[in-house]
Amino acid sequence: MRLIVAVVALLAATACTAPAAPRAAGSATPAGPAVLPAPTGPHRVGTTVLHLKDASRPDPWNLDAKVRELKVTLWYPTGQRDGPPAPYMTAEESELLMRGSRIASAPYDTLSRTRTNAVADAEPAGRKLPLVVLSPGFTKPVSTLTSLAEDLASRGYVVAGIDHPYESYATTLEDGTIAECLACDSNSDPGFGAGLVRSRAADVSFVLDELPAKWDGSGRIDQSRIAMAGQSIGGSSALATMIEDSRVRAGIDMDGTAYARIPPGGFSRPFMFLGSAEHVASPTWERDWKLLTGWKRWIVLSGAEHQSFTDTPLLSDALGIRSASGVLPAQRAAELTRTYVAAFLDLHLKAQRRPVLDGPAPGFPEARFCPCS
Amino acid sequence: MRAAPGSPRAETPTTIDVVEQAYFCVLSHHHRGATMDARVLLTAGFAALTRELGREGRDLPDAVMPALTGDRKADWAAFESVYRRLAGQRDELAVVTLEAMVAALGDATWTHGVRQHPDAYDGDGYGLGLETNAGSSPSRALPPLFVTAVRGGAARAAGLRPGDVIESVNGSAPFIDGTTVAPAIAALRPQYPEARPVRLRLLRQSTGRRWTVTLRPGLYRQELADLQVVRSKLLDGDRAYVRLTWFAGDSAERILRAIARLRKARTLAGIVLDLRGNGGGSLTEATRLLSAFAHGKVTGYLCAGDDRCAALPTDDTVRLVGLPLTVLVDRGCASACEHFGAAVKDLRLGTLVGGRTAGVVSGPAESYLLGDNTVLSLPDRYHLGAGGEVIDGIGVPPDRYAPLTPADAAAGRDPALAPE
Repeated sequence: MRLIVAVVALLAATACTAPAAPRAAGSATPAGPAVLPAPTGPHRVGTTVLHLKDASRPDPWNLDAKVRELKVTLWYPTGQRDGPPAPYMTAEESELLMRGSRIASAPYDTLSRTRTNAVADAEPAGRKLPLVVLSPGFTKPVSTLTSLAEDLASRGYVVAGIDHPYESYATTLEDGTIAECLACDSNSDPGFGAGLVRSRAADVSFVLDELPAKWDGSGRIDQSRIAMAGQSIGGSSALATMIEDSRVRAGIDMDGTAYARIPPGGFSRPFMFLGSAEHVASPTWERDWKLLTGWKRWIVLSGAEHQSFTDTPLLSDALGIRSASGVLPAQRAAELTRTYVAAFLDLHLKAQRRPVLDGPAPGFPEARFCPCS
Repeated sequence: MRAAPGSPRAETPTTIDVVEQAYFCVLSHHHRGATMDARVLLTAGFAALTRELGREGRDLPDAVMPALTGDRKADWAAFESVYRRLAGQRDELAVVTLEAMVAALGDATWTHGVRQHPDAYDGDGYGLGLETNAGSSPSRALPPLFVTAVRGGAARAAGLRPGDVIESVNGSAPFIDGTTVAPAIAALRPQYPEARPVRLRLLRQSTGRRWTVTLRPGLYRQELADLQVVRSKLLDGDRAYVRLTWFAGDSAERILRAIARLRKARTLAGIVLDLRGNGGGSLTEATRLLSAFAHGKVTGYLCAGDDRCAALPTDDTVRLVGLPLTVLVDRGCASACEHFGAAVKDLRLGTLVGGRTAGVVSGPAESYLLGDNTVLSLPDRYHLGAGGEVIDGIGVPPDRYAPLTPADAAAGRDPALAPE
């Protein structure tokens, strides 16, 4: 050990180094519109959009809005074979998301031409279906979780993806206006993450309150089987929501720094951290791990990066973005995300055994079970 | 915020090799590095080393500064060989040596040993849970020392209130014959992992009560609303009051939007920009905010080691606000905040009210990673105010002094906002 330290010090002593600047993404020629991978479950998938308005509280970001409006995208099993696939997002949303993310290597409407697998406004099918709430990463619309949402719906889940307006570069509200990212103004403030997940918890509880009355298909939902998952701060919001709302029985944080304060006595409902290699050593996950007293997993996927749990890698060819070497290929990242999320939900909402959650499994060499430092 | 931040690698012990790395890093990258007499660094480091040996009761007959020649490499080799003989493998001596070398530069910082409490949540504070009129610069404190805010933790539990005068800290007076006892005042701001209890003797002037409390540093929750970098409100029905605690990447835009929002519904008579306690941040952002109050001006200068200076002009794409400006400052206003304050004063863009600023303005600093995974921040240029004057070490005096007294703090009065 001592020898290694000495060698490192010798090498380093020759020069001090400026911390490496973030690596600029390379660009390539855009490959034309992206096609999301086909869902893997037995059911066809329908989708529809609801706009819900919570008059009991003002919008936390737009001080001129007296009402918190939420946009909910539902994905669900359907028997309907035909019908045009639902749009991924509008051309305006695509442009705002690309501009916000500083992507100029493809036409600004590129994302709106992404090919999805769900039939718009199809008739729902099935009964006693478990419900999964999805919450996206900061600045991202929930459509960036479409690959996961469609797959879960094909496996017999109703998925309620929430767009939290003003926390994303673009959310089209019911009146057609587009809410831009007002929260981006303050995202470097101390306490910002803690405040945002608290606000998202309130958003989710309101959606759960309203869904039965506002969606015709809600009679097909088993209200006693609800879980939540999210990426980045959406994942942290899953735990924040569960702490506040006992209807949410299980949750998944995909690569999100944890912001929600767990009560001192601990938290016993099932929870899973699913992360990239950065989360092998993660102060906030380590802190919370000790306070999770029920079923829990901390799985790190080698080769994954922060966006591997979203559609972003699937879209990068269309956007003309060359992916970095050593990163999981897009299709594999989607497959792993779908597999581990569905396994968790199958176990906790459908009481089905899923051995991939028990430890290293054949066919999934990327998964490491932590704490593993 | 956008991506999960990468955890910096864990710090390893600071060795003499790290001190060497820092020494040559300073000489290559600090704005005075090319021209300075490097012996100053070595002498400062050696002085600190011998003080530490003496403090430990382990001073040595051969703890003698080697003769230096002015040849930077040869001098380092001489220094290192004496150091190794004296210190052996004791890392803590390398720490005090490096701290002293960095302090000798006056405008550089070395960040080490600072850790987040493992149980901390976003927005939690660590410490005693109080703030004082000494702010973050104990050596510049002026008597009397008193509590200006109670944020939580031990201070709240013990019933402290704004205005309570601190007469002693761990048995030491904060001032002796008017001279600041900086370590006593610094003890009020413990950083994790410091956790020793701090004993205070307090005087509440309104009741004449004198008492002693022992406060244990710890994590405490803070009101999230209090942590916002930009807060705005309407003052006296016709003035926009905006408080900025830090010049972050988008602060100017945020402040101008807050003003525009308050202006939409009424005619404003002026703007009060509260920069008290603003520790600095982005010089670019401070300049951009100045550009809302003047165009075509030079707001200050950044100068290289050879004294060639580049002007910091206003960004004339920023729309002028066109309202009278009052800026509140105090000794907590440092760095980019002082650049802002000096330009307001020098260019007569408004009135400065409060107290003299901190006098801690380095040029923009670049961060360098050292072999022990600590970070050395070195300015590659130095700063001058809009009039070409030095502000570092001196600060900016307000146009109108409005110092806070214990009685003001106790009553929740803000003399800087009182009519003249």
